[in-house]
Amino acid sequence: MPEPLIHLENTGIYYRSGRAKGPQGVITPWALRGLNMQIMRGEKLGIVGRNGCGKSTLLRLLAGIIMPDEGVIRYTRGNLHVQLLALGVGFESHLSGAENAVLSGLFMGKTRRHMESRLAEIQEFSELGDAFHRPVNTYSSGMNARLGFSIAIQTDPDVFLIDEILGVGDRGFLVKSQQILRDKFKDDTTVVLISHDARIISEVCSRAVWMEKGRVLAEGLPRDVCTAYEDSMLAKK
Amino acid sequence: MQSLLRYKDIIFYRILAGMKSEARKNYLGYLWFVLEPLLSTALLYFSMSHITGQRGMDTALSILFGMIAWQWFEGSIMLSASSILSKFHIYQQVPLPKYLFPLVDIGTNTVRFAVAFSLVLIASISIGPGPSLALVWLPLLLMLQLLLIAGLALVISMSVTLLQDIKIVLQSVFRLLFFASGIFFTAERVPAHLLPYFHANPIAALIESYRAVILHQHAPDLGLLGQASLTSLAILALGAFIQNYFDKRLLKLTNA
Repeated sequence: MPEPLIHLENTGIYYRSGRAKGPQGVITPWALRGLNMQIMRGEKLGIVGRNGCGKSTLLRLLAGIIMPDEGVIRYTRGNLHVQLLALGVGFESHLSGAENAVLSGLFMGKTRRHMESRLAEIQEFSELGDAFHRPVNTYSSGMNARLGFSIAIQTDPDVFLIDEILGVGDRGFLVKSQQILRDKFKDDTTVVLISHDARIISEVCSRAVWMEKGRVLAEGLPRDVCTAYEDSMLAKK
Repeated sequence: MQSLLRYKDIIFYRILAGMKSEARKNYLGYLWFVLEPLLSTALLYFSMSHITGQRGMDTALSILFGMIAWQWFEGSIMLSASSILSKFHIYQQVPLPKYLFPLVDIGTNTVRFAVAFSLVLIASISIGPGPSLALVWLPLLLMLQLLLIAGLALVISMSVTLLQDIKIVLQSVFRLLFFASGIFFTAERVPAHLLPYFHANPIAALIESYRAVILHQHAPDLGLLGQASLTSLAILALGAFIQNYFDKRLLKLTNA
């Protein structure tokens, strides 16, 4: 019996529009509405939908960055570590790659000790070599992205939120980073993957949800959901 | 409060990182923090001694301590006013409490202040009045000013993020406050009927207390200090409330 980690019950979120769009208090349509969803331990949940369907809002909600305007979000464990895969959060340009790895890890809810124990892995995976101990303002943008990715992958959250499986870096690192992300789908990490590409979701996920205009249109086996989603995309064309 | 304990590591290491990266950026950084109050004190002393006729070491030291306390206050608030805005991209990706970066900026500025203040304190005590028992009040005064700074920063950093125009108003308010806080004059020069208003300003009360304790070697006016404490605590409570209320709403209200 799979154990649920996060419950969403009738959850809704709206953004207040900027003042340029009209008088204050005027609200844009709900970004999410009446959402009921459970995220189970160890599952790989894929969420598919077009731009503006509420995917990013859902990620922010799950990560605890915003709170719902109606309904509730419940975490079954108080210290559940839910984290967005984010690259290079808050890099301090005058500090070295190693120092930034620790700082960045602290932001993502890890302890200093955890990050220090992973420094060797981060250095190795990022292929930075000696540059790891030089200030990041001497890095190329590719090196920056490699470092950011290597840090993020070493933070081991309970629930990993991924917005598109995007590799970074040059050809070689691209393949490697996409591979390690796919590996995350094989071990027992709980993953929520959001994508507008139905193929990748049916490939790596164990369950899929199709969202449209902030609501769930379909839910079930990735193959079925993704077929329905793609058919509707084709029908619109 | 509990979450503050949880995030104290981040605050501590960010302050450390800030100091490190500042030291690597410009070597004169710390020196400037001593030089700046000295320069502005020299300027104020020069102009004021011509207007009021008050001269001598006492007047100069009196201005110097007013100036350095003011710079800690103004510098921290101005720095933290845009703390949330400038780190918005981080808040968009990680669920950090919004008060984090304002407190980090206050911390960094406070370390700078501590260095400059210690130097100025030691120097002025040795050339001026000499040490006295009244100095035991000093930690309390510094603590109180830190509370006032933190409270105001919590209120202002969130308000500025929600409505950026506030930052422009803020500059004018601080210019006004600079002239009204008794930095280059003492409370004796304030007309009696205006004195209650003058003392309602906690930063004016603090500057007066610093002078009492360091330069005049007697305990500060406790009534004055009590009033300043109450004001500071009220501001701190307001700040905590605002931060708590908007913490998980902020990203729905603004894209900065």
